[in-house]
Amino acid sequence: MASYDLIPRMIPYMDRHLVFPLLEFLSLNKIYPNHDLLKAKYELLAKTNMVDFISELYKQIHDTDEVPSEFASKRQEVLQTLENLQTEAQKVLDIIENPEVIAALRQDKLQNLHFLKEKYGLTDEMVNTLYQFGQFQYNCGNYGGASDMLYHFRVLSTDHELNLSALWGKLASDILDLNWDAALEEVQKLRETIDSKSFASPLHQLQQRTWFIHWSIFVFFNHPKGRDSIIDVFFNPSYINTIQTSCPWILRYLTTAVVTNKRRKNILKDLIKIIQQESYEYRDPITEFIESLYVKFDFEGAQHKLKECEEVLSNDFFLVATKMEFIENARYLISETYCRIHLKIDIGGLSQTLNLGQEEGEKWIVNLIRDTRVDAKIDFKENTVIMNQNHTSIYQQVIERTKGLSFRSQVLSSAIEKCEALQSSNAIDSIVE
Amino acid sequence: MPKFFSSLNGGSDTETEDEIISSDEEISDGDISEEETESEREEDDVPKAPKPKGSRFTIGVSDEEESEGEDKRPVKSAKDKRLEALESCVKAIENAQKINDWVVIQNEFDKLNKIISKVPLKIPRLYIKTIASLEDFLNEALQKEKESKKKMNATQAKALNSMKQKIKKNNRLYEEEIEKWRQDPVEESEEESEDEVPKPKPSIEEPSDMASSPGSEFIPVGSKSIEYTSDNLFKKLREIMEARGKKNTDRLEQIKVLQKLLEVAATPYQKIRVLIALIPAQFDYNPSMSNYMNVDMWKSTQKEINQLLTILETNTQFMIHEIMEEDIDDKEPAIEPGQVFGIRGSIVSFIDRLDDEFTKSLQNIDPHTTDYVDRLKDETDLYDTIVRGQIYFEKNELNESTSRVVMRRLEHLYYKPDQVIQTVENTVQQLYPAGLDSKITSPTSGCDPTDLIHSLCVYLYKNGESLLRTRAMLCHIYHHALHNRFYVARDMLLMSHLQDNIHQSDVGTQILHNRTMVQVGLCAFREGMIKEAQSCLQEICGTGRAKELLAQGLQLQRYAQLPLEQEKLDRQRQLPFHMHINLELLECAYLTCSMLLEIPSMAAAGSNPEARKKVISKPFRRMLDYNERQVFSGPPENTRDHIMGAAKALAAGEWKRCQELISAIKIWDLMPETQKIKEMLNRKIQEEGLRTYLFTYSAYYETLGLEQLATMFSLPINAVTAIISKMIWNEELVASLDQVDNVVVLHRVEPTKVQQLSLMFAEKAASFVEANERTLELKQAAGQNQRDQQRQKG
Repeated sequence: MASYDLIPRMIPYMDRHLVFPLLEFLSLNKIYPNHDLLKAKYELLAKTNMVDFISELYKQIHDTDEVPSEFASKRQEVLQTLENLQTEAQKVLDIIENPEVIAALRQDKLQNLHFLKEKYGLTDEMVNTLYQFGQFQYNCGNYGGASDMLYHFRVLSTDHELNLSALWGKLASDILDLNWDAALEEVQKLRETIDSKSFASPLHQLQQRTWFIHWSIFVFFNHPKGRDSIIDVFFNPSYINTIQTSCPWILRYLTTAVVTNKRRKNILKDLIKIIQQESYEYRDPITEFIESLYVKFDFEGAQHKLKECEEVLSNDFFLVATKMEFIENARYLISETYCRIHLKIDIGGLSQTLNLGQEEGEKWIVNLIRDTRVDAKIDFKENTVIMNQNHTSIYQQVIERTKGLSFRSQVLSSAIEKCEALQSSNAIDSIVE
Repeated sequence: MPKFFSSLNGGSDTETEDEIISSDEEISDGDISEEETESEREEDDVPKAPKPKGSRFTIGVSDEEESEGEDKRPVKSAKDKRLEALESCVKAIENAQKINDWVVIQNEFDKLNKIISKVPLKIPRLYIKTIASLEDFLNEALQKEKESKKKMNATQAKALNSMKQKIKKNNRLYEEEIEKWRQDPVEESEEESEDEVPKPKPSIEEPSDMASSPGSEFIPVGSKSIEYTSDNLFKKLREIMEARGKKNTDRLEQIKVLQKLLEVAATPYQKIRVLIALIPAQFDYNPSMSNYMNVDMWKSTQKEINQLLTILETNTQFMIHEIMEEDIDDKEPAIEPGQVFGIRGSIVSFIDRLDDEFTKSLQNIDPHTTDYVDRLKDETDLYDTIVRGQIYFEKNELNESTSRVVMRRLEHLYYKPDQVIQTVENTVQQLYPAGLDSKITSPTSGCDPTDLIHSLCVYLYKNGESLLRTRAMLCHIYHHALHNRFYVARDMLLMSHLQDNIHQSDVGTQILHNRTMVQVGLCAFREGMIKEAQSCLQEICGTGRAKELLAQGLQLQRYAQLPLEQEKLDRQRQLPFHMHINLELLECAYLTCSMLLEIPSMAAAGSNPEARKKVISKPFRRMLDYNERQVFSGPPENTRDHIMGAAKALAAGEWKRCQELISAIKIWDLMPETQKIKEMLNRKIQEEGLRTYLFTYSAYYETLGLEQLATMFSLPINAVTAIISKMIWNEELVASLDQVDNVVVLHRVEPTKVQQLSLMFAEKAASFVEANERTLELKQAAGQNQRDQQRQKG
């Protein structure tokens, strides 16, 4: 199963802190040896300021209660810095949170800053401490606080580079704080910024987009509206290009999003095209499922793939929650395609294709018919489903084509009449004059 | 595509950049020599002037110099006249000095020298004074020029520089007198010392004169009676250098002299200097653009370049630079250890030229003779030189030269199969001395041609200018395509966005692009991707000018006679025969692809006139129409006949006959793994045969048994089901499958005549209404305008 695990491929595009939940998830799934994972976690966090947690991990790895003294000193240091930054930042916060100030603030950032500088002696350095404090809190694992600080910083600061970093920081904090509404908002803002900003090199932009794609998956699969947005964002030409060039494995998430989204079926065609194009570079059971269903029309193959998909999905950090939904929708897709192609279907065969028992299959089909997703009847004696074909006959076609004509002609003639009336009245006017 | 050949009329853009650079150099050389010839002509004029002096009234005033303005005093001694002219020149120089006008100074200085050369015995003091003060002034001006940020304008700066050279040269002759004058400048000019200063022999000053006029009293330099020793080597060298490019210069003679000089050259410095003169002299030997260099001379030149590289490799204290002040000292330079001494020259242009000459010779030799093969064997040596040059440039960090040479190397490699590259690499590695390793291509990468090409290309992507990058990219794609890596090639092609602006690039690059596209198409064909192959090949083969577009031969222009110039240029661009892509194979692949796509689509269109208009491949349709119009069609003879026969068989559902005909084409044998390709084609023919059959006959059946179809086309039943399912899903076939009875139920009914006509009628009525609506709209808009105008008037 490890061959389908995408986490190793995705880690390079994530922040340390974002990787942590992934590793946590892996240790639950037991694909990799536990000790290795612990070590990985330790190395991951060693550079952050979460000293307590690191020393805990250290103990676990080395099986001792002894902790090197450097941890203690580092802890001291961290606390010291934290305190310093807090007092610094507090000054700014005091100013901002003053009700008078809030009332006086406007839409225009520059003007606000000017106003604050004049009246309250706010300096650029002070604003930047907010940023530093936010970053520090983030490093310590206090994501909520970091998110707040970065929000305030973004309100005040006019520095574009730092603003972008703050945006990234806030997105990460919101993700880790599980604050999905805020995170979705940040995702939108970040996307706008990346798209509108002119980067020095296309490579840099590509890199930023790749990062963005990876980070946003967190939000898209956790926010209820996320699966609509993921389709909107990722099918955007510039993002689909990014996926194709630098991270084809994202196709798995995109495919899952499309399959589980009932209302966006029309996007399926584009998806099939992309999957086909990239099939030499990336394939996993999920993309193969779509391929065998819509490219090869191999229903048996699709069924096999669906079984594999189940396993892959349950081992994917982002997709675990959508597993049942995916299976359900995949079945719909299979049966829809099947029904469209076939005239008479053996119920036994169909249930087998859908991975269901005989009785279950019948129920499924009945439900399908009841939901009016297909126009069909069951012939119980022969144990078959018969589709109602409604092909438009030629008479119908002629009628269709000529239906609008008389109405259009009427409109035409009335328009002409109106025109003539106008002209004659004009003529009368001119005579009167 | 066809546009680009017409845009070639402008001469210079047809050559690759390299050539342009080298030809630029030649041009600048030419400029210099032209200047020299000019001055020479002037000098020639001068001796004539004194002769008619006595009888000038009989001859007329025409050859009088206007500036002299001495018409009023008809009688005057020659000496006085000279003196007067001298004075006027001196005055002009002084005036020009005041306003810093170097162009005038230069002109006057030349005039002055002319006059002086006529002075029989002694040098006037005035002259010495002038040149001495001019020298001082020049030094001063140079100093100022160096200090000031503001540049002089170009002509002024040029004049200044040439003055610098001239004065330096000139004043050396009169060193003694100048010294004397400097010590005692107050001495009256009239008090000319009677002890005669003999006029120094102008042998060094005017060597060109002697070389070009063998009849003069001086012994010609080229004559064999002169001894060549390493002592007078520099002098001789200078003489030859100055004679280069002039009329009446015997080039062969020069080359011989230079070769002799090379023999006597003792020190590395001397050798380098001689070689730098000898190599271009050999290139110059053949002045016409269309002829190629003599093979033996080419070989000796190649050896000499190698020799030059060897000397430079062993004597690291010398460097050859393109941008270097010309060194006039004819002495062996004193080189301190650790210091690098620069010499002006350009090895990269030698290598470029050598390569171009090689290509030119291959273009001109008949490819079906043994001469061609023999000549081709020299490529290894050439390649060796290129590799050596690359290593040398790399070591000395001459980045621009390195990229040019790397490009040359790449162009010798990209179209060759692995084994050839490997052999060449191995031989070359043995040829050059050990210890010379390139950083661009690590020695281990020599084993794997793909790695080698990759590293060369990557170097060019990083360091080359944009043209080289484009060409490297195309070569890289070509190489990938040659090795059946279709996806890699395609991705590179798409990601580089080459196709967007290839039409703006030079013809050489466009040809390379065409070659690459064709190769990518063939690659797709070999991999069984018919649709991709067709679309790649369409652009080149669809025009029917593949030969021309790939620069593999000139198309005979039927109507418009091309101007001679254009034809010459086209001829120069032709690829040597061994680089050709087989055109017949190309056409065969293209037509086969077209057949596999066009026949089912024609069947699908049926009698529907709208759908029939959709044409995938025009040339294929044309050929098919032509073939069908023939009353008798004999057994197929050539590739086209085979494919046309196969297409007709496929359309009729006789897939077996189609297979036979396609397999009988002999040209497939040129493809690697012929058997595999034939199998692939057979399978495709079966599938497309099934599709065509269904399209053609579906209207006449109620149901069709799947098993029956499977046996008919000897395809597995799963494949049949999959193909039919796909057709139903894509709404190509109005049918559905009956899983229980294992049959296809067909719903499509061919419309009867009345139905068809009524459909057409409905269509026409609809378009009629639409036309009416549009007319009304137009009228209304016009009426609106009128009314508005009326209202405005009112």
